[in-house]
Amino acid sequence: MLTKFETKSARVKGLSFHPKRPWVLASLHNGVIQLWDYRMCTLIDKFDEHDGPVRGIDFHKQQPLFVSGGDDYKIKVWNYKLRRCLFTLLGHLDYIRTTFFHHDYPWILSASDDQTIRIWNWQSRTCVCYYFYTENGNITCVLILNPPPPLVHSGHDRGVNWAAFHPTMPLIVSGADDRQVKIWRMNESKAWELDTCRGHYNNVSCAVFHPRQELILSNSEDKSIRVWDMSKRTGVQTFRRDHDRFWVLGAHPNLNLFAAGRLDVRERPAYAVHGNMLYYVKDRFLRQLDFNSSKDTAVMQLRSGSKFPVFSMSYNPAENAVLLCTRATNLENSTYDLYSIPKESDSQNPDAPEGKRSSGLTAVWVARNRFAVLDRMHSLLIKNLKNEIVKKVQVPSCEEIFYAGTGSLLLRDADGVTLFDVQQKRSLATVKIAKVKYVVWSADTSHVALLAKHAIMICNRKLESLCNIHENIRVKSGAWDESGVFIYTTSNHIKYALTSGDHGIIRTLDLPIYVTRVRGNSVYCLDRECRPRVLTIDPTEYRFKLALVNRKYDEVLHMVRNAKLVGQSIIAYLQKKGYPEVALHFVKDEKTRFSLALECGNIEVALEAAKALDERSCWERLGEAALLQGHHQVVEMCYQRTKNFDKLTFLYLITGNLAKLRKMMKIAEIRKDMSGHYQAALYLGDVSERVRILKNCGQKSLAYLTAATHGLDEEAEALKETFDPEKETVPEVDPNAQLLQPSPPINPLDTNWPLLTVSKGFFEGAIAAKGKAGQMAADPDMEAPGGEGWGDDAELQLDEDGFMDAQEGSGEEGGIKEEGGGWEVEEDLDLPPELDLPSGAGGGSEDGFFVPPTKGMSPTQMWCNNSQLPVDHILAGSFETAMRLLHDQVGVVNFEPYKSLFMQTLSRGRTCYLGLPSLPCLRSQPQRNWKDCGAKQGLPAVGLRLSDLIARLQHCYQLTTSGRFEEAVERFRVILLSVPLLVVDNKQEIAEAQQLITICREYIVGLTMETERKKLPKDTLDQQKRLCEMAAYFTHCNLQPVHMVLVLRTALNLFFKLRNFKTAASFARRLLELGPKPDVAQQTRKILAACEKTLTDAHQLNYDPHNPFDLCGASFVPLYRGRPVEKCPLSGACYCPTYKGQICRVTEATEIGKDVIGLRVSPLQFR
Amino acid sequence: PQSGGGAVPRGNGGDVDELFDVKNAYYIGSYQQCINEAQKVKPSAPERETERDMFLYRAYIAQRKYAVVLDDIKGNSPPELQAVKMLAEYLSSESKRDAIVDDLDKKMAKSVDAANTTFLLMAASIYYHEMNTDAALRTLHHGESLECMAMTIQVLLSLDRVDLARKELKKMQEQDEDATLTQLATAWVNIAVGGEKLQDAYYIFQEMSDKYLSTLLLLNGQAACYMAQNKWEEAEGVLQEALDKDSSHPETLINLIVLTQHLGKAPEVTNRYLSQLKDAHKAHPFLKDYLAKENEFDRLAMQYAPIATA
Repeated sequence: MLTKFETKSARVKGLSFHPKRPWVLASLHNGVIQLWDYRMCTLIDKFDEHDGPVRGIDFHKQQPLFVSGGDDYKIKVWNYKLRRCLFTLLGHLDYIRTTFFHHDYPWILSASDDQTIRIWNWQSRTCVCYYFYTENGNITCVLILNPPPPLVHSGHDRGVNWAAFHPTMPLIVSGADDRQVKIWRMNESKAWELDTCRGHYNNVSCAVFHPRQELILSNSEDKSIRVWDMSKRTGVQTFRRDHDRFWVLGAHPNLNLFAAGRLDVRERPAYAVHGNMLYYVKDRFLRQLDFNSSKDTAVMQLRSGSKFPVFSMSYNPAENAVLLCTRATNLENSTYDLYSIPKESDSQNPDAPEGKRSSGLTAVWVARNRFAVLDRMHSLLIKNLKNEIVKKVQVPSCEEIFYAGTGSLLLRDADGVTLFDVQQKRSLATVKIAKVKYVVWSADTSHVALLAKHAIMICNRKLESLCNIHENIRVKSGAWDESGVFIYTTSNHIKYALTSGDHGIIRTLDLPIYVTRVRGNSVYCLDRECRPRVLTIDPTEYRFKLALVNRKYDEVLHMVRNAKLVGQSIIAYLQKKGYPEVALHFVKDEKTRFSLALECGNIEVALEAAKALDERSCWERLGEAALLQGHHQVVEMCYQRTKNFDKLTFLYLITGNLAKLRKMMKIAEIRKDMSGHYQAALYLGDVSERVRILKNCGQKSLAYLTAATHGLDEEAEALKETFDPEKETVPEVDPNAQLLQPSPPINPLDTNWPLLTVSKGFFEGAIAAKGKAGQMAADPDMEAPGGEGWGDDAELQLDEDGFMDAQEGSGEEGGIKEEGGGWEVEEDLDLPPELDLPSGAGGGSEDGFFVPPTKGMSPTQMWCNNSQLPVDHILAGSFETAMRLLHDQVGVVNFEPYKSLFMQTLSRGRTCYLGLPSLPCLRSQPQRNWKDCGAKQGLPAVGLRLSDLIARLQHCYQLTTSGRFEEAVERFRVILLSVPLLVVDNKQEIAEAQQLITICREYIVGLTMETERKKLPKDTLDQQKRLCEMAAYFTHCNLQPVHMVLVLRTALNLFFKLRNFKTAASFARRLLELGPKPDVAQQTRKILAACEKTLTDAHQLNYDPHNPFDLCGASFVPLYRGRPVEKCPLSGACYCPTYKGQICRVTEATEIGKDVIGLRVSPLQFR
Repeated sequence: PQSGGGAVPRGNGGDVDELFDVKNAYYIGSYQQCINEAQKVKPSAPERETERDMFLYRAYIAQRKYAVVLDDIKGNSPPELQAVKMLAEYLSSESKRDAIVDDLDKKMAKSVDAANTTFLLMAASIYYHEMNTDAALRTLHHGESLECMAMTIQVLLSLDRVDLARKELKKMQEQDEDATLTQLATAWVNIAVGGEKLQDAYYIFQEMSDKYLSTLLLLNGQAACYMAQNKWEEAEGVLQEALDKDSSHPETLINLIVLTQHLGKAPEVTNRYLSQLKDAHKAHPFLKDYLAKENEFDRLAMQYAPIATA
């Protein structure tokens, strides 16, 4: 719609365009006919003679006439030039539906509820009429002249709704409530029925001829438009739209276009948004659209039975329930349905759950288990999920309710909206805005947009109006974007509104849409056909404005630099909104720059611009501005540039710049500016100069007086002599005359007046920093220094590659996927949640004699009962049993290393929440089987995952790579000790837990030995041999390849140096097998070649690479297979039998050789 | 009596409680707002004024601003306020506590004015702090106000008597189901019951923070619900919000100690929160427990030793 004429009248019943002029006639329900100029939007005239609704209206194609037909049975012909009704044609016996002029003959065609179509001659005004009638079911059509006979049939046996002439041929088409379309042929004397088109199954409201083809179009209350072939008299095509009832048709005179007018039952789809989900109603289905995946599914079929579409929806995410309100034409018959959305649904054939239907205008949720219903008496009911009334609330008069967050509602009355607290039953705030139709809350409910037909008001949570926007075009919908901008649509635009009141157009629309969500550049919406769509918008403008309003200048600057929004409009906007300092940075044009700089008082920039412009007016303005700021150096420059000597002189005087003042005096003298010269002398207190000036300009007496007064006697005498005693009198010197001299400033002001230190705005800073950013960006050298731990034996070059390798190497551990095996032990137990405690203790209160209850069984006690896993006992705080379990299962005898693990574990066993203020908090115990444990089968949430421990290995590997062995050992040990505190779900994970222990053990043994080796002296050959042995043993620890490369290189170098070439060669080969980096490989090959020349060992060592051995964790000697060995029950580290009973060196907690049950980390192990 | 549709519960009658905002802010833990509202509101009757002051001073106590309370409440103030002062005295100085409790015991031994609900609440609070739950429950047994019932529920929950807490809650719901206190108590009980009720508890806290203001009390409640449902990531967001509001709030720190471990964060992160807690809240029951447990650990550890030494 281009223009809306606010007639404020009753409904418009008929329309006719003038064939040439920009006029339109509107016939109204109240009997008035209005003539509008649709270009000027002005009402030209009013014609008020009909009594009751006027439906038929038509301009004559040539003459200044129009015809109208009303419910008063009258046809009136008007002359709009004469501005009056020319005559009235009487004859119809019921409402007149349509009246048309014939394009050629002086005829008027009228259709009426009296079941007749009549043709009138408007020239004879004598009601020369054609009556169409039937006889005995056979249709004969006779022309009957005056006088009119009694009522006869038109062929239609119900009211005729439409009758129209063919634009060129002598044909008439009519449609009536008898569901038929009839075609009539006429000649000079009579008309007869040609044919009847049957097919519509409800009242035919309109029928028109195709202007060029042999076709007829008709529409009906059966919601269809049908096309009929005139010659074959059959239906050609049917257009059906279930939601649309077409009332009227119009044909384009030239193009193959037809317009269909539709009863606007309700075009807005009902929808609700929660999180990433859109719920909307389409074709009697509730559909769910996932914004992220665009997955659109029907979740539920709605109960049928209402002929009205769903008007509004309220969604409850907590209960996954919806309220669907259906509004009937008669408001009192409106109903709502409460549905629980099925949890799972087959999109092809969704369930049709049984809803609960009640009458009520509107129903919205007010809490997760409560909703409010505005019933037809306009009182407010609060209902529960069973649709039972729990409360009746007295509310101020209201005609509509809207959602307003938990426990609140917005109530709309005639001229405002009230925020109402349902719990307190009182109004909290009211805002005046007429006829709000929709309410859109921001995601955090901090803001609300109230949408009326032509207005938008944005309010905060307290319903204080923040801004008010008027729209000329109908407001359709809106949504808040994630940054708090309200994006809304009118019939033909997407627009934005900031809470500060700024608003503007984002883009135009071809068709109205209903915005459901806005994210970034995307506007998600439903179109009129309820199809979800996504439109792209450019958010730059409003983002920019928002950033400005929020003073996020870094964003502003980013956009200034990166977005293409620099334009006059933005500059003007910035200036208008009081951000000249921001605008300054957009502007290249010096003139604008200058005025912006002045506006924000930036004298430096203004000066720069003024220099570039060098215009007098600029200097003047700058001078003024600078003077206000006390920036007198700039003022001086301005005065100099504008050659404003007077002001300059005065400036020098007040700033005490006497030297320059004197210079000004000289300049004035040169310029022969006597008064200026004199004034400067006066300022300077230079009396002799003044005398000289006065003398020179012939003011002898004044000169004399000046000299005499100021005691320049010599001068005075000299002057006195020049007086001609004949003609002139020497003036009398006033004895009281005093020397008047401006007191010179004590300190001449060379510098500016002290200026307030203004902190540099973000922009000035950012702009200034721009140049320097590059230097700052130079990253500090991040190269990790080679760890000294590896020593220089290996001449190691540690770099990031090695580090990466380590990560890759252990990727297998990191990638473990948890499998969903449940705790079947608990699953098959299904006890009622009641606590079976003695109830007598607590129940005694009923006698009036109070007996305090005994303490109940806490969940932590249950945990101990339900589990034999140590960690469960620690979490329960039962250290005693936990220790016993660890002792029995893995042989822990020294708990010191476990202390921090125990305390940590304990501390994650219980969360807390606050009850009443100032009371000790309550505790809650998270349980891993919380869903189905009931009251007695609980087990604590462990909080330590195998995957976490595995992830921690990475850090240990890094420490190892960088040579920080002691630290690494400590960390490996913590991981190892933590393994018995795991709870895992399946056999694979049990195996992995054991593997983790092995990894830790290998590293701890190896790294401890290497640390030990470093401490040993290497003075004698024996000592060196021992060192080599240990290095060789180290190569038998199971390490990650990246570490093994390092270990092998160390061993290789040591053995090479010891001239044990044969063993060295074996290390070299092993090293090459690991595929080291090219340079390492090259070097290794060289050494290998050298070794292979003399493939012998110079010294006998206790190392046989071919004989498999375990390494004693305490003495670091090989324990060849088959020899007696004692093991640590937890780590599995091997020891010489002599160490039995001692503390394991690897764990520092367990006893070597202890007889134990074994590691228990899963309930599976207790089967 | 419980009945289906149509029944309209009694509630607090249709009229508006002028102190609603004051009380509400206090119960949801928005103490400063409570103080602000109390200073704003002009009650219609003198007894309402006392009631208002009672909440005002209790809000100060909750903020640990004991001096304000001790200075403001004079000897001639109404008995309700004297009771509030008693609690302030008790909480403000650890040394005086025994004397105050003795004094209180004596008062309780005599006949108690059951109408002075405030006195009952304050006395029960002190007993609860003393971990004398018997005395606390006995005291609360005299009162019939919603808050007495709520406190009873809290004490019962601390005794792991969910069964009795539910009974008490039912009484509250019969009196006024929609009252803030009833809602909160429902949430506490729901957390203790666990299972599906946890989500209900969460919604109660969520609704309150939607409706009024998110406070540390509500956020920690939400966090507790999330954590009880093993929704650790969700809990992190909530606790972060709480931490932003007050970086040294003890309950938030305790919950973070729990959470960081469950999220698999490095032990250092957890220890940082523990240190913060030790720094700022030495006397917190959590730390007292913690210390006791450390001692217990040391004592128990001594029972174990290797059979041989190196």
